[in-house]
Amino acid sequence: MFDIEKFISGLSVDKAMDRLGERFLKSLEDETAETFLEALLAFMKIKFMFDPAYRKNIEEFRGRYQFRSKDGGVAVLVNFEDGDMKIREKTSDDVNVTVSFKDGRALMNFLLSANRDILRGLLNNEVLVAGNLNYMYKFGFMANHLQLELTGNLP
Amino acid sequence: MELPRNITHYMKHPDNPADSPELRAGKLYKYVMENKRPVITDENLLAGTTTARTIGVVLYPDFMALSIWPELETISRRKKNPFGITRAEIDELNFDIFPYWLDRTIQEVARKDNGNPLCQRIMERIVFYIATKVYSISHTVPNYAMVVERGLLDIIREARERELSPGSSKEDRAKKDFYQAVQLSLNGIISYAANLSREADRLAAKEVDTKRRQELLEMAEVCKRVPAERPRTFREALNAIWICKIALHQENANVALSLGRLDQVLYPFYAEDIKRGMTLAEAVELIGCFWLKIADHVPLSPETGEELFGGSGSNQAVTLGGVDIKGADAVNDLTYVVLKATELLRLRDPNVNARYYPQVSKKEYLDRLCEVNINTGATPCFHNDASAVEALSGQGVSLEHARDYSSVGCVEPSSGGRTYGHTGCILMNLTSALEMALWGGKHRLTEDEQIGPKTKPAVAMTSFAEFKKAMETQLGWLIDQVVTLNNNLGRAHQEIHPTPMLSAFMEGCMEKGKDVISGGATYNSSGAAMIGLADVVDSVTAIQEFVFDKKKFTMAEIISAINADWSVPYKKLQAMVKASPEKFGTDSRMARANADWLIGFLHDTFQGKENYRGGKYTVGYWTMTNHAGFGALTGALPSGRMKNEPFASGITPVSGSAPVLTSCLNFVARLDHTRIADGHALNLKYTPSTTTMSRFADTVEAFFKMGGLQVQFNIIDRKTLEDARKYPEKYPDLFVRVSGYTAYFKDLNPHMQQEIITRAEYDLGTGEEQKYG
Repeated sequence: MFDIEKFISGLSVDKAMDRLGERFLKSLEDETAETFLEALLAFMKIKFMFDPAYRKNIEEFRGRYQFRSKDGGVAVLVNFEDGDMKIREKTSDDVNVTVSFKDGRALMNFLLSANRDILRGLLNNEVLVAGNLNYMYKFGFMANHLQLELTGNLP
Repeated sequence: MELPRNITHYMKHPDNPADSPELRAGKLYKYVMENKRPVITDENLLAGTTTARTIGVVLYPDFMALSIWPELETISRRKKNPFGITRAEIDELNFDIFPYWLDRTIQEVARKDNGNPLCQRIMERIVFYIATKVYSISHTVPNYAMVVERGLLDIIREARERELSPGSSKEDRAKKDFYQAVQLSLNGIISYAANLSREADRLAAKEVDTKRRQELLEMAEVCKRVPAERPRTFREALNAIWICKIALHQENANVALSLGRLDQVLYPFYAEDIKRGMTLAEAVELIGCFWLKIADHVPLSPETGEELFGGSGSNQAVTLGGVDIKGADAVNDLTYVVLKATELLRLRDPNVNARYYPQVSKKEYLDRLCEVNINTGATPCFHNDASAVEALSGQGVSLEHARDYSSVGCVEPSSGGRTYGHTGCILMNLTSALEMALWGGKHRLTEDEQIGPKTKPAVAMTSFAEFKKAMETQLGWLIDQVVTLNNNLGRAHQEIHPTPMLSAFMEGCMEKGKDVISGGATYNSSGAAMIGLADVVDSVTAIQEFVFDKKKFTMAEIISAINADWSVPYKKLQAMVKASPEKFGTDSRMARANADWLIGFLHDTFQGKENYRGGKYTVGYWTMTNHAGFGALTGALPSGRMKNEPFASGITPVSGSAPVLTSCLNFVARLDHTRIADGHALNLKYTPSTTTMSRFADTVEAFFKMGGLQVQFNIIDRKTLEDARKYPEKYPDLFVRVSGYTAYFKDLNPHMQQEIITRAEYDLGTGEEQKYG
């Protein structure tokens, strides 16, 4: 599991956000997008910690998300509760929604509007969502917002 | 934004969860209508708008609005069908509106109530079926005759009297709540009309153009009277219907909320006004104003929906002509006025459906219908009264009520204003059952997962009967799943989304004291549309002919061929399959027997199921754009069809497989229409240069005399369509018949455009299909 604290140790908040943002953008360009999920979650977490405007997304929100790769190599539980985001390497059935994905690229295609290739995802059975789809839509908004903000494309 | 804002505000604050679902809905829609902004921004003669804009998208937070959440910040810039949205609106949806609905949408309430059932999870794999109650229940025809013959105050008076009748049992209390809900919501509509009247007066006071000022003053007078009181004029009647339709758009997404037999409902007002001096041009203008009004909102689709199923309008059907309840010719002068407006405007909505009764309807009427179709290229479509009345009678509809049928959405015949049939509640991909029969309950798209019941793998089958049995097992299982899902969703609607306004405009609800969604209508049914009929019949027939009868190749070989998408080693085999005359839409006895078997099995199995309102399920063969969407998700088939190609639309043969028009018409006409009670769409394309009015009318007459149920035409050639695909800017208003409804060609997704281009085109001079490519 990616160690956020170590990665940003000794950096100012702004610098830390820049570094994690760069890492997230870089993961999108990678052929396999292997690090996409952890880069997205890490950047999301620091944004929630230090950007009040972005944190508004999870104020008074409770939602539990399970992300797991189909090969079992990745299993991440993300818990949002009252303005806080916790990321743990864990599986749980007590979640609002579970997203199973073939690889990082497939998950990225599924989540981000700008990179979307939904048809391919469906045809290749690459992403499977089980549970309350509305929670997935909310997560999709938060993920897209980050990419749009970093690339200067927010409306 | 107005509707989601008002609904969410009401539910967060004044709503009382202790009230019954009916009462909550009545209070909610009273609030929604009272707080709806009166908007008069265009030069239309009729007042009222669905949204707070001249043309807008309506977001229904309790249905599927949340599906655009991920795209809120990109939807205004997407390539296909972008929607304008401001930063403030994005923030309001993201922070205030959508979060409230996370656990409260119909889809999620049904999931929670039923423990995330398999039937719902299967739908979310997309390729098997779609149950449309997740986004509306409006696939029906309200009783607008009631609105113009009585006015809302009279309906409110009746509800009040019924509410005050004695009785205090649980059932009586539920009825009283229903009657209260009707009164509350209809009073909300009257308030909205009053607001429109005041707004028209306000605008008139500052209008400098004398003509427009007079129009606005008249508009103010119209809205002062209707829909509260019975209208006195043609204009008042049209505006009364329009205001009520706006109200219904607040209650439910407009997915084929259809208009019924407008030429019958409005004729008395038209005739009176003609006597008083209204000119034909004025009547055409008023119908034109109404046509423009009903197109004032567009459906909302997330990007995936656009990619797979995009391009569809709201599919609001209007029905013309046919016979009256006694069986006499009902075509009148207003029928021709409506046709004239349709011909002049060439709009996507409404979807104009013309009824024709051979031996009763006049030849000049049929000729005029054909002329309008030639001039517009794509509308109206044609229904055979004799067959439709027989199909409805077979479902227990009385003869008089069956004769008073109108079309819902695409093509579905329904006794208008008295049947709640949700005719498009299920869209089922038939090829997914074929896949599962071939792979023992698995589907290539979902790989190793055991989706359906385990049946013998096709490679081990030794007879065609064994294969058919496996098909029946898989079809039966799919039907079980989708019916369970539709019933779950129906019960979720009963729990959180009763519809007092639609119920007030539906015969039966007042007498029973029940909402439409709880079975209040006189007739109750649910309609399931099947996608991919001709592709499945051709595939099954190919297996019968080549594997079991002629033994030209083995099942293993055909499976290898389709797994390889009929690539090089299998090209000869594919050519053999495709060249076979044993096809849906030809003189083939084998294909006919397979079509009869499949249609019979689907009808019998669905009819054996009961819906959540105690009604039956009916089956239809119309596909909207779903034959292209489902086709894009589906691998190669034994019929010779390649991977991802669109399926044939509706009940239409696969392009290129039915080369002779008379055989095609004969094949479809002789299918048992009493087993197609949810209607069908036979989509044909005629070469314009060979389409004379008399030839055209002869083909329709002949098809109907053989018993054909419905047929519709594009009078356009492939060259024009290909040019329109290449240069959409040259054809901004080119509209085409898709599968039951019309759409602007430029709005269709690439799969759908390709399907319409390759769709069989017949030369009426030779009666043969023009070769493609």
